[in-house]
Amino acid sequence: MKKISVKNLCFSYVKDEPIVKHVSFNIHEGSYVSIVGHNGSGKSTLARLLIGLLAPDDGEIYIDDELLTNKTVRNIRKKIGLVFQNPDNQFIGATVEDDIAFGLENRQIKREKMHEIIEKFAKRVGMEDFLDKEPSRLSGGQKQRVAIAGALSLGPEIIILDEATSMLDPKGKSDIKELIEEMRKDNPSLTILSITHDVEEAFLSDEIIIMSKGEIAFKGKPEEVFSNREVLKSLNLEMPFIMDLKDRLKSEGINVDKSKDLDEIAEVLWPLK
Amino acid sequence: MNNVTFGRYSPLNTFTHKVDPRNKILILILLMVSIFLQFHVWSTTLLLSGVFLILLICLMLISKVNFLDLFKSLKSMWFLVIFLLVIYVFIPNPTYKFVCYRFNDHYAIYWDSFYQSGYIILRLILMISLTMVLTSTTKPMDLTYAFEWYMTPLKVIRFPVHEIAMTLSIALRFIPTLLDETDRIMKAQASRGVDFNRGGLFKRFKAVISLIIPLFVSAIQRSEELSDAMEARGYNPREKRTRYRKLTFSWRDIIALLFGLAIFGGILYLFIYDHNVEEIDLFMQIFGINVGF
Repeated sequence: MKKISVKNLCFSYVKDEPIVKHVSFNIHEGSYVSIVGHNGSGKSTLARLLIGLLAPDDGEIYIDDELLTNKTVRNIRKKIGLVFQNPDNQFIGATVEDDIAFGLENRQIKREKMHEIIEKFAKRVGMEDFLDKEPSRLSGGQKQRVAIAGALSLGPEIIILDEATSMLDPKGKSDIKELIEEMRKDNPSLTILSITHDVEEAFLSDEIIIMSKGEIAFKGKPEEVFSNREVLKSLNLEMPFIMDLKDRLKSEGINVDKSKDLDEIAEVLWPLK
Repeated sequence: MNNVTFGRYSPLNTFTHKVDPRNKILILILLMVSIFLQFHVWSTTLLLSGVFLILLICLMLISKVNFLDLFKSLKSMWFLVIFLLVIYVFIPNPTYKFVCYRFNDHYAIYWDSFYQSGYIILRLILMISLTMVLTSTTKPMDLTYAFEWYMTPLKVIRFPVHEIAMTLSIALRFIPTLLDETDRIMKAQASRGVDFNRGGLFKRFKAVISLIIPLFVSAIQRSEELSDAMEARGYNPREKRTRYRKLTFSWRDIIALLFGLAIFGGILYLFIYDHNVEEIDLFMQIFGINVGF
């Protein structure tokens, strides 16, 4: 089932300087899609268009076959949870629990119920011991997990991560990646759209859309996208470590195509002399 | 940038911490009004100020307010103290009676002026300490909720009470973030050769400009992102919202309020008696000593 459908989307901040040019794609329910691209490729603008923070110049966005317009935007926003790049600039409450509560207050959830929900989702992201902590006492990764808890607590069908890991340290990054995997296990129908320039993170997704200069440059499974060195080079993107390793081993005459992760490659490699 | 210690909230669990913030604000106002009432006989006013000082010390002990913090913030008042003293002592006032030192027929220094300036300084110290007890025992966010509650009646005249409270709470939330940012920009500019501590007035002013402009730019960018984040989470100031935090009135509040009302009532009674019936000389009545001139 199509969850998000974008048709011929165009957008420009300044006239005659289009940021998004005739972009069309479909995202299916329960899939995990990454949009990869460099700064200025239009990928963050795309996220703001999808949730109606910006209005497109041309083209249509359908969420669950419902066209995004001024009238439907409020209803559609209820289905989408958005996590932004800067952990500080999306922390609204004074403490962790107040921040998770912010979205719930907007939805007019009863006070008695709120506490239960906050506890549940704080536990989900592993922040249950920090409920009364102020943002200044949390690390970037912890703040970002709170932001995810805030988005999840509203029961969205789609989560959009707008470079949610780009300002985090490696530990924070891997925590968020793990959390994404767990979220998908919890709720298989949750659609995740991750906007990123981290190829390692994009490699984990079901499908990758590469944006370049406002257009879709490539679309497909991560293995297809990342196995083609020429395409990656032309887009100025790196190869994920594991793909790079496989590629180099292949050029040395060792075939590890069937191995899925580093452990499996090690299994192939250690008996060799 | 951690020198902003005055009145910072300290997360403890004392009686004062547990009192409802709305109640605390009310009691603070009652006590401040009581401190400001001045009696005809100077020794009475001074004695009552002394009583306030003792009460205040008790309150600070109960609330576990850091005395050191208070002294630190009072230390920065020395300029004001000297200023007040000079103004009061050297500017003549026809109501002064008791001469301390006479220069000539037209000009003298009076004892009254020392008493007046001393009394004002004492009042200031009392007020500052009281406010400090409030801010160090109440979370800034709870204070915002309390102000919002007091402003609720203004909703009738379409005053944007909720919006102001929300703005206030976000401003409070971003103080530490912006302080960090200031620190970062200062270091970045210092590494580019900007000197914030030396040079003439004009040079320093230029240095501060190089701090303020990037800080403003980043604050505006932050606010843009923040408003996007709020909108994405379904915030609409015109719509009804539920509340996660609820202020509750407990037995502690009744005790605290009775205490505040008792002091206010007592002082007010003495004040009215003093002004309408006859002048009270507490020293005379309690100790039988006449300290008046």
